[in-house]
Amino acid sequence: MSETFEPKIIAFVCTYCTYAGADLAGTSRLKYAPNVRIIRLPCTGRISPMFILKALQKGADGILISGCHPGDCHFTHGNYHARRRWMVFRSLLDFMGISPERVKFSWISAAEGGKFADLINNVTEDIRKLGPFDQYKELIMETEAPATL
Amino acid sequence: MITQEKYRSKAKKLLADGSVKMVIGYSPGSTADRRRPLFVRSFEEADQLVLDSNCIANLSGYLVTEGLLSDEKRVAIFLRPEGIRSLNILAAESQLNVDQIIIFGFDSIGREVSSLSGEHAGEFSELISSIKENPPEKSSEPLLYQIEQMNPQERFAFWKEEFSRCIKCYACRQSCPMCYCRRCIVDSNQPQWVNTSSHTLGNFEWNIVRAFHLAGRCVGCGNCDRSCPVNIPLRLINARMAAEVLESFDHFAGMSTTQEPVLASFKKEDSETFIL
Amino acid sequence: MTRILFSDKLDNCVTRWQSAGFSVIGPVTKDTFSSYAAVEHASDFDLGIVLPDRSLKELFFPQTEPMLRYTIKQQAINTEDFTPPSGKRLIFGVRPCDAAGLSIDDPLFGWDYKDEYWFQRRNDSVIVTIACTKSDDFCLCTSLKLAPDTTNGSDILLRPLENNKGWQVEELTDRGREAFLTIAEFLQEGSEPAAPMAVVPEMFDLDTCVAWLQNPENFESKFWKDISMRCIGCGSCTYLCPTCHCFDIQDEGDTYSGIRRKNWDSCSFALFTMHTSGHNPRSTQSARWRQRIMHKFNYFPGKFSVNSCSGCGRCSRQCPVDMGITETLQKISTLHS
Repeated sequence: MSETFEPKIIAFVCTYCTYAGADLAGTSRLKYAPNVRIIRLPCTGRISPMFILKALQKGADGILISGCHPGDCHFTHGNYHARRRWMVFRSLLDFMGISPERVKFSWISAAEGGKFADLINNVTEDIRKLGPFDQYKELIMETEAPATL
Repeated sequence: MITQEKYRSKAKKLLADGSVKMVIGYSPGSTADRRRPLFVRSFEEADQLVLDSNCIANLSGYLVTEGLLSDEKRVAIFLRPEGIRSLNILAAESQLNVDQIIIFGFDSIGREVSSLSGEHAGEFSELISSIKENPPEKSSEPLLYQIEQMNPQERFAFWKEEFSRCIKCYACRQSCPMCYCRRCIVDSNQPQWVNTSSHTLGNFEWNIVRAFHLAGRCVGCGNCDRSCPVNIPLRLINARMAAEVLESFDHFAGMSTTQEPVLASFKKEDSETFIL
Repeated sequence: MTRILFSDKLDNCVTRWQSAGFSVIGPVTKDTFSSYAAVEHASDFDLGIVLPDRSLKELFFPQTEPMLRYTIKQQAINTEDFTPPSGKRLIFGVRPCDAAGLSIDDPLFGWDYKDEYWFQRRNDSVIVTIACTKSDDFCLCTSLKLAPDTTNGSDILLRPLENNKGWQVEELTDRGREAFLTIAEFLQEGSEPAAPMAVVPEMFDLDTCVAWLQNPENFESKFWKDISMRCIGCGSCTYLCPTCHCFDIQDEGDTYSGIRRKNWDSCSFALFTMHTSGHNPRSTQSARWRQRIMHKFNYFPGKFSVNSCSGCGRCSRQCPVDMGITETLQKISTLHS
């Protein structure tokens, strides 16, 4: 393969901090990798693990989840709840063989446009190094294939 | 035998004086080592109750049968320590009023069955604390250790192989006392989060979702594992999750009827080393 | 003198069948779990088990099967059919109850609509059944008026020899004869006696049960509530059953493209009869268990003149709460109709 692999990354972000941070990155004319599709949600507390599974089911190679720093949540503690949930879900994915390298978490405030751009670049590079999530894609392919027996 | 007689006569007494409307226990099954759930409603039926080391199933799931407790009458039930823990969780999650439950507690070592002292959920907290403090040896589950030593690709391949057998009969869900949702997430189709088809992808998704919903709630009674008709080692996933919440949040499922559910609570100082 | 297939020739036969274009399938045990699966060599077969954990039906009616792919572009809707895989299969070491299960479902799948997924596989498959010389506590073929050497649904019946060194060959259909023609050189004439059949005690009187079920007064009997009180409503019994055949059609995908699949469904599930309005005509587990029993021993024979049960006993064997057809019919047979 001569072409470099371009990973598909889905980012679930909260509207009050990380989405505003992404906005700032844009209005500051910062350049970052175009591999990320951003999905805006009201709060990290709204980010259900179902979203992560759905993204994988639809062929994502990596997933980024990001919201307000602890203490900054618009709803006071949505991100604290989310943090516990991720801790557990991350370990579950790890145990099932879905490498935690593919599912990343971060805190990015509305003022951190620079951090957002850097993070997207880093995450994209990390996932590029890991390569496409072939093991999961095999399962997806199987669902589209005719019966074998 | 002594324990069985003791509980039989206790069941008779409670049924006779009307202090309970039903005793949920075990009766002989279709083979010598099988036991089946039994619902005793009269004095005479109590003689069918058996109690021995083959009484393994956690019966607490029957307590949330629709309409069973809605008349506010009391029900007695045979429970092992794990059963008592799952009863605590059901109470903590507001699924039942624990005052309606009389516990016939028992445990077994080898073939020897002993009764547990106490009959209300609150009276077993010392016992449960001691289980928390003395977890089973890691060597008791060699397969869990083996899986933990694998790299992600190997682990994925291991579970892919296991889940390829899953037929989505949902025996794991139905036998689990914690799976009391009126409508399970796989049965909801707007939106359809996970595939309902029983191809390996759909099976993977289903088992991940169920394990996550049980994280911090599973007491390790083994109902799912035993009921799986295709022998998927489901207990391992739940055991791993239980270990995770214990390490990270010092949460041991089913300590008391007022314990906060681990994923519906938080501490400001929770670990966040994985967050960039 | 009968024709005999000696076990030491079985591997030659497997190779010969494979080179004649058959994929060879048989009972296989992996770890602690057994099912009918494709094999390469005769040594892969596990012919010592009473019967595989999973039934034969899934080779004809898989748990999930793609039917068509759809794509929608603006106004144009395109569909592309998935056809069932074709190719000859020889299924060796089938249990008589599993084979009989196929013959029970044949009229169902060919009744008003001929199910091509089922019949393509049926026509492509040679069923080589081995009569049972052992049984376990859950076997109940004799109670269903079948036997450990029932030939329903089989193309060949093999009777194990008393000396355990092979099988007497009984050719039952042309399809079976043709498949055994390819291995004719490995068969021998012999007079070795066949081993005695497994003794499967009769657990209940079927006619008494059927009469009770047919009596409309018993539809609302308290019996149903009592017997199914402990039923947890999982689908193990239906999914392992060699004759249960209910399915659901699911579209997987989104508005623009996706795949329509045929998936197993089970009358044990509350969702099976749930209406869009939320009303459920079978709202209790006892109504669902009654449906399963009534369907097998009353409605199905009413339509197709055969009970929808071949007596494999998997429902009782695998039930997490030790229920099953045996217990239910045993109890019914003691009731007064």
